Amino acid sequence: MYLIIFITSFFSILTVEAHAYLDPGTGSIILQALIGFIAAAGTAVSLYWQKLKLFFKKFSKKKGE
Amino acid sequence: MNKLKFDSGSYRDPAGSVFFENKKVYRNITNFGSKKYEFIKESGLLEESIKQGFVIDTKEVNDQNLKNQLPDSKYIIEHKKIDYISYPYEWCFYQLKDAAIHHLDFQIFLLKNNAILEDCSAYNIQFIESKPIFIDVLSINKYHEGMYWNGHKQFCENFLNPLLLSSKKNIFFNNWFKGNLEGIFTSDLNSVLSLKDKFSLNVFLQVYLLDKLENRIIQNPKKTASKLKKIKPFPKNSYMSLLVQLKKMIGKLFPYKQKTVWDTYSSNNTYNKEETSFKIQVVKKFIQENSFNTIADMGCNDGLYSFESLKSGCENVIGFDFDLNSVNRAYLKAKENNSSFLPLYLDAVNPSSNLGWNENERASFKKRINFDGMIALAFEHHLTIAKNIPLDQTLEWLTSLAPKGLIEFVPKEDETIQRMIALKGDIFPNYSEDKFKQLLEKKAKIVKIQNISSTKRKMYEYSRD
Repeated sequence: MYLIIFITSFFSILTVEAHAYLDPGTGSIILQALIGFIAAAGTAVSLYWQKLKLFFKKFSKKKGE
Repeated sequence: MNKLKFDSGSYRDPAGSVFFENKKVYRNITNFGSKKYEFIKESGLLEESIKQGFVIDTKEVNDQNLKNQLPDSKYIIEHKKIDYISYPYEWCFYQLKDAAIHHLDFQIFLLKNNAILEDCSAYNIQFIESKPIFIDVLSINKYHEGMYWNGHKQFCENFLNPLLLSSKKNIFFNNWFKGNLEGIFTSDLNSVLSLKDKFSLNVFLQVYLLDKLENRIIQNPKKTASKLKKIKPFPKNSYMSLLVQLKKMIGKLFPYKQKTVWDTYSSNNTYNKEETSFKIQVVKKFIQENSFNTIADMGCNDGLYSFESLKSGCENVIGFDFDLNSVNRAYLKAKENNSSFLPLYLDAVNPSSNLGWNENERASFKKRINFDGMIALAFEHHLTIAKNIPLDQTLEWLTSLAPKGLIEFVPKEDETIQRMIALKGDIFPNYSEDKFKQLLEKKAKIVKIQNISSTKRKMYEYSRD
């Protein structure tokens, strides 16, 4: 949710001006790059989270022994 | 030598175009497009795509006569002929949804096999036996590591946005889509959606964020162009997950629940079961006596008479109705039975016209008429009385649809007509059965007149032959 609020406030300060010659698909390519980045970052975070969880599990097990 | 007739809507791709010859559908593949075609042919992708029901039956032909007429063509392929070409703005919600899912399933299949679809036009999907089928084989191309999905924007405008508009806002996409053949622009949809709608992560990303990015790009084109040069390759698993996410998202979309006028027509109409079963018998006999390939069912509602026509030996029925909820129900029924019944949206007083580039890209309703039979049950009074179309013009139009047909005449004293004129009054001094008969006789031969039980409604069978 914080991600949504952050991106919303970032883009809502922009105003619209319809001109310029650009391939109309450009926005969608940048969106894909952004989604790809978010997905990759999410995967990396979840990977480290799993590792961290595993570490604490092992740690608490050792303590219990 | 015959001059080949090219499809006026098939001009965008320099790799090839669709043309017609001797009632067959062909596509030429130019030297420019030959590499692409060789890839899909030699990799076995084309064959497998056809086998798995993604792509229309296609075979390579070696017709010297055709080749002589197409000197720039390296190959010629023949496609299975589709009985009736329909456009996305004539589809109901469920037809567009099924077409979108078919498109995504096909793309997922292709990506697994290192191929992609170059564009995502909804016009590349047609319906055969209530199933969507992909028709543009030259859209398939090789996947290269790091590629972005170039058709994403088009997919959103052609499929996702119209579905969201109907599902979230209860606005049927059809007339909007017909007004802009590219579909529903993301910026338009973003303006219509509420804050609550955008709280879904998928809607937020695919509509709100995409619109904001597009605006930002328009403002800083130079900056964007330099950024694009540095953009990182798009991982294949991200490409795949984008397709899968969209499929999941679309799978959860349903029409906005609200009853329309005709939604309960089959159960609430003004005639009794006896009359309905009599009408079914008349339709059945009409179909059995004529060996029709394709008939039109005008005002098909949920397809009661269309299904009876198919059972009686007619090969295909194309149904037309003004009410999109009825078209939805008819389509779902047809899909359940894998039936050759294609219900479509048609406003008879504002039918699909010739649209697009040079007013020739998408053919009008009239231009696509290929019916050898027609049934119009409880239909003519909706034009003549409800829409004030003069009776002779109604009959002229109806009889022009097919050489043979059944038209139900509804008398003025009928309950439905009385309801129609309750407010505007009886401004139809010339509407009577005698006039109906006299005018119909001018257009065609009256083959049979049958009373529909106790009411004064009558079934007129005509033949123009």
